[in-house]
Amino acid sequence: MSTWLWTTLDPAGHLAWTSSDAVVSLAVAGAVLAWVAAVWTSRGLPVGATSLRVASLALWALALGTLAAALSGPSWVEERGRSEPGKVVVLVDGSASMGVLEGAAPRSAAVAEILKRIGPDAELLTFDEDIHAGAPDPNSPDAWTGRGTDVGLALSAVADRYLGQQLRGVVLITDGLDRGALRRELAAASDAGQALAGAVPALPGPLTIYQVGQADDLYDVAIDGVINGGFAFLRTDFRLTARVRGPAGLTLPVTLSREGRTLRTKQVKLGEDGRGKVSFDVRPTKVGRFAYMLSVPVDDADAVPGNNSYPVVIRVVRDRTRVLQVSGSPSYDQKFMRLFLKEDPSVDLVSFFILRTREDMGAGWRSDELSLIAFPYERLFSEDLDSFDLVILQNFDYKPYFDRSADELLGNIANYVRDGGALLMTGGDRSFDLAGYGETPLAAVLPVALGVTGVRSDPTPFRPVLTDAGRVHPVTRLGASPAESEAIWERLPKQDGFNEVVGLAPDSAALLEHPSARSRTGKAPILAVREVGKGRSMALMVDASWRWSFSEAAVGRGNQAYLRFWKNSLRWLMGDPEDQRVVITPARENVLLGDSVRVVIKVHDAGYLPVDGAVVRGTVTPPSGRAQSFEAVTDASGEASIEVAAKEQGAHRIRASSPGVPGRGETVFAVSDRDPELVEIVPDGVFLQRLAAAYGARAVYRPPGDPAGPTLDASAGREVLDRRVIDLASVPLVGLLFGLLAGGAWITRRRAGAR
Amino acid sequence: MDDPTRRELIRDALRVAAMLGAGAASLGGPAWALGPGSQFGIAELLLDQGTTSRPEAWKRLLFEVIQSTSVECDPTPVSLSPEDPLLFAHPFSVLVGTGSLPELSDAAVEQLVRYLSYGGFLLIDDASGNPGGPFLRSVQALTTRLFPTRPLSPLPGDHSIFRAFFLLDRPVGRTANATALQGISIGPTTPLVYCADDLSGALDRGPDGRDHYPVVPGGEWQRREALKLGVNLVLYALTSNYKHDTAHVLELMREGRLE
Repeated sequence: MSTWLWTTLDPAGHLAWTSSDAVVSLAVAGAVLAWVAAVWTSRGLPVGATSLRVASLALWALALGTLAAALSGPSWVEERGRSEPGKVVVLVDGSASMGVLEGAAPRSAAVAEILKRIGPDAELLTFDEDIHAGAPDPNSPDAWTGRGTDVGLALSAVADRYLGQQLRGVVLITDGLDRGALRRELAAASDAGQALAGAVPALPGPLTIYQVGQADDLYDVAIDGVINGGFAFLRTDFRLTARVRGPAGLTLPVTLSREGRTLRTKQVKLGEDGRGKVSFDVRPTKVGRFAYMLSVPVDDADAVPGNNSYPVVIRVVRDRTRVLQVSGSPSYDQKFMRLFLKEDPSVDLVSFFILRTREDMGAGWRSDELSLIAFPYERLFSEDLDSFDLVILQNFDYKPYFDRSADELLGNIANYVRDGGALLMTGGDRSFDLAGYGETPLAAVLPVALGVTGVRSDPTPFRPVLTDAGRVHPVTRLGASPAESEAIWERLPKQDGFNEVVGLAPDSAALLEHPSARSRTGKAPILAVREVGKGRSMALMVDASWRWSFSEAAVGRGNQAYLRFWKNSLRWLMGDPEDQRVVITPARENVLLGDSVRVVIKVHDAGYLPVDGAVVRGTVTPPSGRAQSFEAVTDASGEASIEVAAKEQGAHRIRASSPGVPGRGETVFAVSDRDPELVEIVPDGVFLQRLAAAYGARAVYRPPGDPAGPTLDASAGREVLDRRVIDLASVPLVGLLFGLLAGGAWITRRRAGAR
Repeated sequence: MDDPTRRELIRDALRVAAMLGAGAASLGGPAWALGPGSQFGIAELLLDQGTTSRPEAWKRLLFEVIQSTSVECDPTPVSLSPEDPLLFAHPFSVLVGTGSLPELSDAAVEQLVRYLSYGGFLLIDDASGNPGGPFLRSVQALTTRLFPTRPLSPLPGDHSIFRAFFLLDRPVGRTANATALQGISIGPTTPLVYCADDLSGALDRGPDGRDHYPVVPGGEWQRREALKLGVNLVLYALTSNYKHDTAHVLELMREGRLE
């Protein structure tokens, strides 16, 4: 150590330049320029003063060099090491399970006493799915809110952070409810009889594991999980199995509800391990998404009321489309329709054809010679009706069979359509007004108005033409583009005649019309569609659609036009939620109370292409029934999105529509306060013992209530580096030196004759 | 107001009559499709040699279909060549053979393949009186050209043809030599059927309305069975395997009419 430049410098230190390269470059460049200026201005000095001129320039050079060096940030750096005792690092589990009540106090209350034993000098770290400095207030349950407890991550973070150092000790305070991989890996290794050491990170000090929380102090009943496939098939039983947990031997009622409505309650007796299962078989009758909830009662002493219910959203889809085809007489049209339906593997077809009329009964055949069976019309159109997705009345006259119950049975069909069913009526001499349907309840759901008197059919062959709606509607789309579809329709063979109707029914659309014949509402409709209530209906006023198949095949074009037309029709008539023009999809179907969920609404045009700029209006209805309205506009991809805040527990149903677009989208998501962190809250001491075992002699497990302090390594120490940096440019001698040199240069220059 | 008991009796009569309803025709007036083109009809396929025309047999069959069933028929058969594009206006066709057939043109074969593949039905009736003779060999050659991977094969006894309208045990015609019909099946349907026992011979009549041929060995009972087979073939062509639907099979078994 010596005194230099009026400050004390250690000779073991070293010089360092601290200014940036840019500053150093500017300082050197400025000094050079200043010196060149001095040379330039000294040219006029008398010839005899050459030595003075050289001395002046030399002094200028030294002065400017001193200035440039000072600007370059010269510093004197002195470094010195010293030894201190090793640290104690404490990892505190900050997850929500640490805040549950055990008796009168939160589980976290034990943390304060443990920390007192460790002492104030320890470095506190809190971990959950991440790690951060400090620790929550042990006496405030609300302060323990972490999710995704990851013990392995916390230990790895300590190992990395103190790599190369010695710690006196590492203390882990937790209830052992690890949500990371470590618990599973140790359990798997233990079950397999494998060594556990490979599963844990090496720590720089001995590990003490304090378990907090005891199962004996805890009263909690919960539904740990619900086994389900996430989706179900329409009219097919699916099973929801609830895994229930609670005190051993307890009998609990488990309730299944759907969107606030209780469906069933079953009792389950928990086994000696405090676990039990109960199953509910449910048969969905509609397609779409539905929110089910399985729940057990909440007791005042329940540690976590939020895990007493378990929401599940089930998507109900059609496995097969169940079609009832009733035909008034065997015909080519009925034959080709049946072949089409039978060949479609997604269709479950039930056919009933009227093979013999009352007039045919005089032919003299005995009943036992015939293969005919009674027409179970009463059962079909009452109790069985809801089991069908589509009812086809193909040239079928109801009068000879329905008798006194005609209004009731046809009313059943009308209600079936309003409630979401689909109806197709095709033409013929036993259909529409030729069968007197105009006077029945069924007329109210057909897309054509009935009531024609006098001549009720026209047997003149004709070729139907597309209407404006038909050019874009998915039912009549036979080609890749509207132009191609139109070309196909123009070449299809003529029909043999058509059923006359009064005109279109309200809210209906004609897709095909007669080229010349008229009805009261315009050209005579040949194909018309209608959305009625939740269902759909279609009317085809001809009985020779089979020609669209057979006559096309005659010229080598196959039967694609016919197949496509009926496939389109089936798909439209089904009106599945995913086939609606407005489709709503939530980003998540199970949402935590207080979170928000993004909901996407997609709008399609008649050709099922995305609609840009469509206004979407809808409502979100929570269980309280207080619906919230929203409005959004679709982008180029036909999508609009909204954020919905989950403020109430239970099913939230979203409905939306777009002006000018038929139909309405609908979906549901479920909200619960079921914090995933609190699904399991019984402390896992086994895991913590396995963890201690994995570290062998370097770790110790302290069960709840163990008063012992942590295991510490007294020999652990650490090197602490002291560093002193002296800014040489700021010492007084530098300024004095620059002044002397610059002053000497100025005086020498004056003496050399400069003015 | 009608007497309810009487109405019940009428309704029960309709049901117990073991048929599906009474149809629009019962409401007054004959049953007609919207146009004559959609009525059921029969097209006879005629070749230059080896085939014969029996319009009276088909008229008799159509008459019986009209009398016994709800099918609306055009009672007059038409005659066509296999190449005729009008074939596709008649999804039901028959070919009655008496001897060796000439080789069909490629165009005719191509058209027949399309016809049978897309919903048409062809009954080949062996009127040669020589089972296994030149006509059958011609038919086998023809069917090999039509469907090379699907040989003409015997149809099982529970085929829908045997229960399409009447319950039948075996096929018979003017003769009763074969124990089974033969056919070519595509998926669940059989669009081509070969009858070895001269079905049309049992149905054919002369201008005076008398039967043209004696039926052996069963006489008039056999002719009646042949007529029932003809009706079943028509109903099968229109309803395909309808009678194999579960609802029908279970009901017929419940009533003891099927085992």
